[in-house]
Amino acid sequence: MSDLAQPMIEVFDVAKDYDHGTIRALDGVSLTVDRGEFVAVTGRSGCGKSTLLHLLAALDRPSRGRIVVDGRDLVQRGDLDEFRRREIGLVFQLHHLLAHLDATENLEVAMMGTHRRRAEKRVRALELLDAVDLGARATMRPPRLSGGERQRLAIARALVNEPGILLADEPTGALDTRSIDSVLALFRRIRDERGTTIVLVTHDPTVSAATDRIVEMRDGRIVDRGVSTA
Amino acid sequence: MTMFSLVVKNLLTRRARSILTASAVAIGVMTVVALGVLTFSLRETAISILRTGKADFTVAQEGVSDLLYSALDVGDLQRISAHPEVESAIGVLVATVDLDDEHPLFLELGLEPEGLEEFGVRVVDGRRYAADAENEVMLGYRIAADLDKGVGDSIDIDDSAFEVVGLFATGQVFGDSAAMMPLRPLQARERKPGALTLAFVRVDPSADIESLRTAIEDESPQLATVRTESDFGRVDRNLALLNAANFGGSILALLIGAVGVMNTTLLSFFERTREFGVLRAIGWSRRRLLVLVVGEALIVSLFGAGAGVGLGFAAVAFLERLPDLLGVFRPEFTSAVFGRALGFAFGMTFLGALYPALRAVRLLPIEAVRHE
Ligand SMILES: Nc1ncnc2c1ncn2[C@@H]1O[C@H](COP(=O)(O)OP(=O)(O)O)[C@@H](O)[C@H]1O
Ligand SMILES: [Mg+2]
Repeated sequence: MSDLAQPMIEVFDVAKDYDHGTIRALDGVSLTVDRGEFVAVTGRSGCGKSTLLHLLAALDRPSRGRIVVDGRDLVQRGDLDEFRRREIGLVFQLHHLLAHLDATENLEVAMMGTHRRRAEKRVRALELLDAVDLGARATMRPPRLSGGERQRLAIARALVNEPGILLADEPTGALDTRSIDSVLALFRRIRDERGTTIVLVTHDPTVSAATDRIVEMRDGRIVDRGVSTA
Repeated sequence: MTMFSLVVKNLLTRRARSILTASAVAIGVMTVVALGVLTFSLRETAISILRTGKADFTVAQEGVSDLLYSALDVGDLQRISAHPEVESAIGVLVATVDLDDEHPLFLELGLEPEGLEEFGVRVVDGRRYAADAENEVMLGYRIAADLDKGVGDSIDIDDSAFEVVGLFATGQVFGDSAAMMPLRPLQARERKPGALTLAFVRVDPSADIESLRTAIEDESPQLATVRTESDFGRVDRNLALLNAANFGGSILALLIGAVGVMNTTLLSFFERTREFGVLRAIGWSRRRLLVLVVGEALIVSLFGAGAGVGLGFAAVAFLERLPDLLGVFRPEFTSAVFGRALGFAFGMTFLGALYPALRAVRLLPIEAVRHE
């Protein structure tokens, strides 16, 4: 169904206002992300990176403009739960894992509402834990994992329903250097092995340097669309 | 991981809170069970008097606090009998006597021997008592077996010695557990000459019972006719009050339970805004989240209901031992009482979880993510 030549994400002249228009978080943003591209969105704190990511994830609606994901206009879709469950994976700065569930269960919760059988879900969860090098941590709860392990578990959760797009908001913001490296390596591997399109928001230049393209924002606008190095 | 195991895990994680919620429900359910059993059992005891004889309806004095205080006289009985639709009207004086510890409310029925047949009494052994015999008594076959008495035996009732001249059957459990004796000697012993407690009326099968009842009540406004259990409140105010107390108490219990459920559900909702928002953000639908929130409340309430029924039994056992209720209150655990308790538990859950559930449904996933 998806046309491979068509970009994965297209943002057309999007604005986002808060507080009845007194705050303009995004002001005429246009952006295209190709299939399988690993893009960093950077800029100072408050420039609108998270706002943009939330719009891409359909967690919020633009005040103006259109966002087309995989050929479909988000504003016109009525099945946004389904969109979030199947077509995108979300990773937050704070992992937002459920502390009382173990690693496997955290992945299974994200699969509820998909039509996989219970045994299948378990198998899928364990496979993914292996893929993010957490196979030995399957029965551990998040509080007992290190920061890097938690973030890798959160990434595994985002991948659990095989989305075409991974959206990550400052996923390394709370990590030490070594953990940052392992998480970035994981993102690259996901892009290489699965062809997943990745949009990663960060204000850390060393993190954005690890991606294919750097999009720079300032005051709610894109000031540099970047050049692909992939 | 199924929804059910997630619900259970969530509840176990907040164990203290789950137990508190269940306790609120348990106390509510206990109250409903105990009040229900108490009311039902006391009503059965009270109504039993009406079930001692066979009648289309019974006539008593209106508005007395207890059916046993009803007072009719011979004139009332004659006026009732005078209606052409009335086949028979049997006047009965009812007294209770403390026979022994197990029979603190033993029923004595005084009526003329000629009335026995119309009253539905069949002599199964011995003979009827004579109209003016001061020390003759007939026993219902159940109480006779219970007391191990037969024809020719002697029995002490209220410090007087009586001879059992016959055993009878009425086809009614309560009648068969009573004693019958001639009317005038009982009136004399009770110092109520000419007095009756009730009239048991049988009506010509072709007549309209309801219009006859209306005619009797219009003619003698001090009288009330009782046909169904719901009429009973008119001749036994205590029971009507008890019913009202049961109703009011149960509603209060419902509200208390509901507030308990609401309190904890809402508190955990506020605590878990982030958690719920994240679930929505990773693709949970509103409906799935609703199932989770309501499911948690429901499982807790079921546990509370189970514990509440157990506590209800304990409360009833306690009430049964209260000196004031000893022997009067024979608990009957009807399925209706349990059904109602379960219904109340669901009611508490529904009322208590409604608002938090609505909040959960309205929660925007962005709210949770923004909290960063
Ligand atoms: N819910 C909101 N209500 C009002 N203002 C907001 C809200 N969310 C973000 N903003 C504002 O919008 C601007 C962009 O915020 P954000 O997208 O979070 O920036 P970034 O992620 O780049 O730090 C900021 O000025 C921020 O204060
Ligand atoms: Mg941000």
